[in-house]
Amino acid sequence: MRIIAENIFRFLLLVIVQVLFLNNLQFTYCTPYIYILFILSLPVACPRWLDLIAGFVMGLTIDMFSNTLGMHTFACVLIAYLRYFTIKLFISEENRITNKPSFHSFGVMPYVKYVILLTVAHHTVLLALEAMTFVNWWITLLRIIISSAVSIAIIIALQFVKRN
Amino acid sequence: MKNLIQFFIRYSIFFLFLLLETTAFLLIVHNTGFQRIVFLSSANSVAARMYQSSESIFDFFKLKQANMKLNEENADLRNRIVGLQNELIRIRNMQNDTAYIPAENDLQYIPAKIINNSTNKYKNYITINKGERDGVAPGMGVIATDGVVGIVKTVSNKFAVIIPILNPEISINSKFKSNNYIGPVEWQGEDYRFANLMDIARHVHVYKGDSIVTSGLTSTFPEGIPVGTVEEFYLGENNAYYTIQIRLAVNFRTLSYVRIIRNNNQSEWENTEKTAQMPTPND
Repeated sequence: MRIIAENIFRFLLLVIVQVLFLNNLQFTYCTPYIYILFILSLPVACPRWLDLIAGFVMGLTIDMFSNTLGMHTFACVLIAYLRYFTIKLFISEENRITNKPSFHSFGVMPYVKYVILLTVAHHTVLLALEAMTFVNWWITLLRIIISSAVSIAIIIALQFVKRN
Repeated sequence: MKNLIQFFIRYSIFFLFLLLETTAFLLIVHNTGFQRIVFLSSANSVAARMYQSSESIFDFFKLKQANMKLNEENADLRNRIVGLQNELIRIRNMQNDTAYIPAENDLQYIPAKIINNSTNKYKNYITINKGERDGVAPGMGVIATDGVVGIVKTVSNKFAVIIPILNPEISINSKFKSNNYIGPVEWQGEDYRFANLMDIARHVHVYKGDSIVTSGLTSTFPEGIPVGTVEEFYLGENNAYYTIQIRLAVNFRTLSYVRIIRNNNQSEWENTEKTAQMPTPND
């Protein structure tokens, strides 16, 4: 019960932070999307179908606020699907039983790798979709690199702030 | 049969994944078709209310600038009143012309406040606090004190979403103020200060600083509203058309008040044009 409440709270908090502050950041090539921390922080034991549904709902909510119907949804469902494989790939068996992915439960390096892989996957898909009709691929690439770097930095930094 | 069922159970997660991705993809592809689903855009009441309350906090910090803008506009309007009064006196002194038909007052301005705005995406959108009950409808033009802002896309009861010039979905039919050559203004997705003027043929003389205004050839914007000024232009040896970069008249980052243009003749205008394009019946 506590875990469900905690995740719903995290969902609401991240949506508010994302749509009211981060989406309005006025740097030309940089919009960090840290709301994916919700998907990254779902319990390891969370059933995979619930991962997917949670990703879908999160994506749709962000889409509603930013008028990008479907794009965030697509990227979110993708990383919700990849999450299971990423955990399997980077995190040793005995660490997988713990509840919530973090420095503490995964170890610093595995967690960093986990965050980097999923964030880059999400940003690449999202910004490529957004740019679908555009010829200017260099700018899209620049956006992906800068936005991913900033998102990863923020997500990792949040780990230092939190107590557990 | 048993194998088949086992197969589906085994890959059920993958099928769910495919189902959700297909849904998302359909939403993206049919985005324009879904634009009537107000619920899925930021014009829905939860999203709009949230934006409105956060905007009211930030408003406080923009007050000084808004004040200055209003002052300038006030002064401008006063000047125009003086001009019109002079005109009125001049006309009263002239003889009455019996063939004169007074022009219909077909334009109305609806003031609105921006409650959400972006400038750093490929496709930017603006949400405002006026909607259907205030007379806003999709397709109406939107301007600010400095010039053209964009076109209304989605409308709910109390809110509306605007596509600004900073979105490749629209282009603004514009012309040179000096010589009336016409071309669309389109945004290239890079810098919120600049857009491009297309379709200007090589025989036209272009100068830096030339004013670009709306052409008045569509029912969305009346003639002569500023769009921008020529910043840079380039004409390759083999090009039939100029590449013209214009500096937009409106600063989209500091924008907070806009006016929606309600053209009471818009539907009649468009219907007449549509009828004209239909094949003529033979008789």
